[in-house]
Amino acid sequence: MENKETDKWLNDYFSINKKDIQDNGFTRRVMQKLPEQPDRSWIVWLCACIGIVLSLILGFSTGTLQSALMQLQKIPVYYLLGAVFCFPLVGSIGWYWTSNKYI
Amino acid sequence: MSNTDDIRWVTQLTLFGDKNAFDKLTRKYQSPIRRFFMNLTMGDVPLSDDLAQETFIKCYLNITAFKGISGFSTWLYRIAYNVFYDSVRARKYYEDIVEKEIDNFYQTQNEFSAEKMDIYNALKELRKEEQTAILLFYMEDRTQNEIAKIMNCPLGTVKTYLLKGKEKLSIYLTQAGYGK
Repeated sequence: MENKETDKWLNDYFSINKKDIQDNGFTRRVMQKLPEQPDRSWIVWLCACIGIVLSLILGFSTGTLQSALMQLQKIPVYYLLGAVFCFPLVGSIGWYWTSNKYI
Repeated sequence: MSNTDDIRWVTQLTLFGDKNAFDKLTRKYQSPIRRFFMNLTMGDVPLSDDLAQETFIKCYLNITAFKGISGFSTWLYRIAYNVFYDSVRARKYYEDIVEKEIDNFYQTQNEFSAEKMDIYNALKELRKEEQTAILLFYMEDRTQNEIAKIMNCPLGTVKTYLLKGKEKLSIYLTQAGYGK
């Protein structure tokens, strides 16, 4: 058999015999055998809290937060409500887009 | 399901220790990993499942070592490759003695077509590295670059494995009556 023929034979053979193996409880057995790992989610919350505290300290000490609040007071309340209600809409469109379900 | 899903699940697992994310990863990759082992072990289903299980457990324990430079699937195949070679090394001492008995046992246990027997017999003619490269390239549709990362060897070596493997298979298949 020539090399090209072997190539074709192997491609044909493996594409025909490439079958998906049914899970049949394999994943469940793997999950049962996983050792317990320490919960590391506290690191995320700790970092988030440190970030918020730092932002508040920096914001108040430099006066950025006060001026931002003053600016917000000048904006009509309907604009603010509109902006707030835009978030779920934009979020939903983004979610539909990434999951490719409807768009 | 895309690579984006893989990254999301790996992140959830790494940051929050979310086992549901790992469940999804296992469900997605159980079939290709078990098929890879099935072909490497010439159809030994229980051994393939044991090796696949070990691969996923090692993946779970070392998930923080995944840097995302290569795709998650390439990284998982690399673990699978190491698990297989560790098992080969461990079994090497008694393998030769019982190999024929095991072969006979599993060949009667599994559904084997004449063609499947031929390809398994043909694969036995190859060195383990050549077998792995051929299976990854033809069965698992991995690129030569990915195979080089999985087998942790230079691209040129992978090309040689594939070439030598194909040559040996060509000779075997010609003798077996294919391509006449």
